[in-house]
Amino acid sequence: MNVKALPITRQGLIPLLIMIQAVVLFPLWFYIPFWISAVTIALLLAKYGMYRQGVKASRWVLLVVVLLCVGGVFWQFKTLNGRDAGIGLITLMYAFKLLEARSYRDASLILFISFFIVVTAFFYSEAIWMGGYLLISVLCILLGLVALNSPKGVQGIGSLGKISGVTLLQAIPIMILLFFFFPRSSAPLWSMPTENQAGSGIDDTMSPGSIGALHTFDDIAFRVDFEGKVPPRSEMYWRGLVLSEFDGFTWFKEQHTPIRQELELPMTPTYQYRIQMEPNNRNWIFGLEDLAEAPDGAYLFSDFTWNRRRQTTQRFIYSAQAYDIDFSQRPLTEFQMNRYLQLPTDSNDDSREWAEEQRQNHQSDEAFIRWILSYIHQGEFYYTLSPPVIEVDSVDGFWFDTQQGYCEHYAGAFVYIMRSAGIPARVVTGYQGAEYNPYGDYYIVRQSDAHAWTEVWLDDEGWRRIDPTAAIHPSRVEEDLRSDASSRDGWMEEFGSDVGFDAPEGLLQNLALRWDAVQNFWSETVMGYSQDMQFNWLRKLGIERHQYRYLGYGLLATIILAGLIFGYLVLRGTQRLEPVTKHYLLLLKKLQQQGVACDRGMGPRDVLQLTRDTSQKLYSRAAPALKTYITMRYQQEKLSPEAVKQFKQQVSRV
Amino acid sequence: MLEAIKNRFFSWVDSRAPKQPSTLLKQKNIYILPTRYGWLMLGILILILVASTNYQNNMGFMAGFVLLAVGLLSVFYTFRNLKGIEVRCQKPASVFATENATLPVQLINNTKSERAGVGVGFAKRRVLYTDVGEQSKNQVELSLKTHRRGMMDIPRVTCASIFPFGIFEAWSWVRTPYQVLVYPKPIPCPEPLVATSSGIEEGQTQEKGSEDFHNLRDYQAGDPIKQVMWKAYARERGLYSKEFEDYVGEHQTLSWESVAHYEKELAISYLTDAVLTAEGSQSVYGLELPQQSLDKGQGPEHLHSCLKALALM
Repeated sequence: MNVKALPITRQGLIPLLIMIQAVVLFPLWFYIPFWISAVTIALLLAKYGMYRQGVKASRWVLLVVVLLCVGGVFWQFKTLNGRDAGIGLITLMYAFKLLEARSYRDASLILFISFFIVVTAFFYSEAIWMGGYLLISVLCILLGLVALNSPKGVQGIGSLGKISGVTLLQAIPIMILLFFFFPRSSAPLWSMPTENQAGSGIDDTMSPGSIGALHTFDDIAFRVDFEGKVPPRSEMYWRGLVLSEFDGFTWFKEQHTPIRQELELPMTPTYQYRIQMEPNNRNWIFGLEDLAEAPDGAYLFSDFTWNRRRQTTQRFIYSAQAYDIDFSQRPLTEFQMNRYLQLPTDSNDDSREWAEEQRQNHQSDEAFIRWILSYIHQGEFYYTLSPPVIEVDSVDGFWFDTQQGYCEHYAGAFVYIMRSAGIPARVVTGYQGAEYNPYGDYYIVRQSDAHAWTEVWLDDEGWRRIDPTAAIHPSRVEEDLRSDASSRDGWMEEFGSDVGFDAPEGLLQNLALRWDAVQNFWSETVMGYSQDMQFNWLRKLGIERHQYRYLGYGLLATIILAGLIFGYLVLRGTQRLEPVTKHYLLLLKKLQQQGVACDRGMGPRDVLQLTRDTSQKLYSRAAPALKTYITMRYQQEKLSPEAVKQFKQQVSRV
Repeated sequence: MLEAIKNRFFSWVDSRAPKQPSTLLKQKNIYILPTRYGWLMLGILILILVASTNYQNNMGFMAGFVLLAVGLLSVFYTFRNLKGIEVRCQKPASVFATENATLPVQLINNTKSERAGVGVGFAKRRVLYTDVGEQSKNQVELSLKTHRRGMMDIPRVTCASIFPFGIFEAWSWVRTPYQVLVYPKPIPCPEPLVATSSGIEEGQTQEKGSEDFHNLRDYQAGDPIKQVMWKAYARERGLYSKEFEDYVGEHQTLSWESVAHYEKELAISYLTDAVLTAEGSQSVYGLELPQQSLDKGQGPEHLHSCLKALALM
């Protein structure tokens, strides 16, 4: 006899719970504040120590530590509200709960709350490996539940644990269907407080060194799918921000206003594309020049940039169309003219005077621009990521002294010189170039592709993009930057032609591209599965209205179908009676038909007696089978197939 | 109102669980509902889905749906854990009032799958868990508190299981045809019970008769040493026992009249104690009750009939 309740003190249950908590908390340790991770690890170790020593935590000590931790969370986040503080708090409470776990109830609570903790990690990362980790975590939790809910406890996992794996495998197809059908909403249910997270990427100010600092980041900024024609890489200028306010050292974003009415400029569409943007925790999004109609959820601004109303904290997918815009029809207003000629008068005097002087020597603005670019090309200008530091007067310092810099130095100085010479100009920041992934047929734009270039206003032409870094002589481009520089806009063709470096194509890079293609599928099709995509495939099925209703039918059908299929699969096993019982039941049925008032509840000996009392003739036929059954039931060793067969024959003779 | 619904529900349940010594658990008599942790899981699931909708987090949706699917599947697994088990309740032994009666319950698994954590008890919250391996049986002894003398009905036996995940609880109510006979609680009487005069007389004559020995027979282990015929043994003729015509020991008749002036239940308890004392001292005793009188006798069976008469009085 093996009768037990289900206490938590069964051997091995506490270490199992500690292990499960460690598995569940592991991904969070990379994202939550360091001290919270450290405290949870310490609590797990403390629980293990207490388990080994057989001591219990004092409630008072526990209370003090809990209060300290709550205080710590408040001090860290300045609030107990909001996502990050909430997750910090819940992970701490989760670890504390185990420390004082004493009963089945506590263990059960811990295991079920684990499911929620698993999900909190997904607020920080939706990477493909998190999908795999989800399954591992759920498997561990299910194993924990099996151990908790069976009298044998952890020892039972060997023989009973299989059920967890089988359940999980059966759950996966159901999950996929539910995932597919569950109606998504296009907007959040409640507005989320913005998290003060430092997003990586282009910022709305530019000072020497700010874009160069991004060069070391290989993080993906966004991925691009072109529909149809693909521009050459040298044409891939991904416009983000326009910076036109200058204080002598730093460039700032101008005050811009949304363009509400249709643009009345002549435009010719060029490229159709779709961008899957990684979160940058900023309002601005990027597009292929020239930008016009804003994608859904964003606005076109007067400086021809796009902004979203809320920050991009999740991956954002949008489709857009690039245009060639003819600005010449609409001259600059006086206000705009002043804005794009504005310069601080108290700094960079040398450059201003130099520019005014040089402009005198040239017939037209265009000739002057051409001359400046050739000045850069032929002069001792270097393209480097590690230029000497310039303390004040960033333009003077760069243009006359150091002559070494990254794109922001060149763009800033170029715009300054243009404005000094009376040509309206502005700095544009964003990304330039892209890496092609042949395995997924899309382009990858990384943070290291961050770039700054310029636009100048030519009276008969409108805004023209000029990338001064493209003018630097290749021999003066730092080795690491050559492949970047080689793909830049060659307004002056003669400069761009003599550089041609290609990134080495090796096995490793192939693998990396393949892996990125898988990740792209994951993030675009699986993680990016949205209401748009749902409505799209519904439209292909001819459903244009009442989409939610049809999705509801899909959900219902999934649950019913899953119930039928798995109900059948799971319960099938119990109907299969082992052969001896099956034949015995058959025997009883035969006896009943022949007038013996026996039923399943009676022991075989009683049935034997009853048969003898009922009919001697029947008794002589049924007795061998019943007697065999009695011996088989009470014998301990396993029955041989022959014995079963013999019993079957005896039954058939009744 | 609530009581009426409850009564109706249980009369419906009882109609599906006839009183029989052995019950096979099947679809007809297994019920299933989420445990309180199952409800907790539902709450967590809703929380996950709401948060995932709000943060447009598809990973969260995946986790939520895995959870939902596990919950759905666990209905079948928990149900399967009970289905096909045969519950056989044995006849419980009689006990004295306020003692605990023991109901042996056998769980018989004739199917090809192991059943872990099958609980048996008188209430869902208070079950004893046991594992029943494939094609094997296991016995659980339930103890049942008794209060009053008489035949006591055995409440519904609950057979429950939360295996494998504790999300759902499947259970079945099994009814047994047996009752527990509860003997009165023995209480020693403060004053000696006077046996009736007729009883004493009868006892005397009987005692005389027992003095004459009836015949000799071979000694058997357990014969009182007093009855061994030592004379024959001394003559090396072997061991013989003298067999007397009647019982040895004191003779008495315990009558209701001697305790009738006490409160009824107390009187019964006193008589019970007297019966037990008489049996303990190996005397021959009879019992005279208002409705029933038992002839003199001795031994466990006689004791049982006396106690039964007292229990059912």
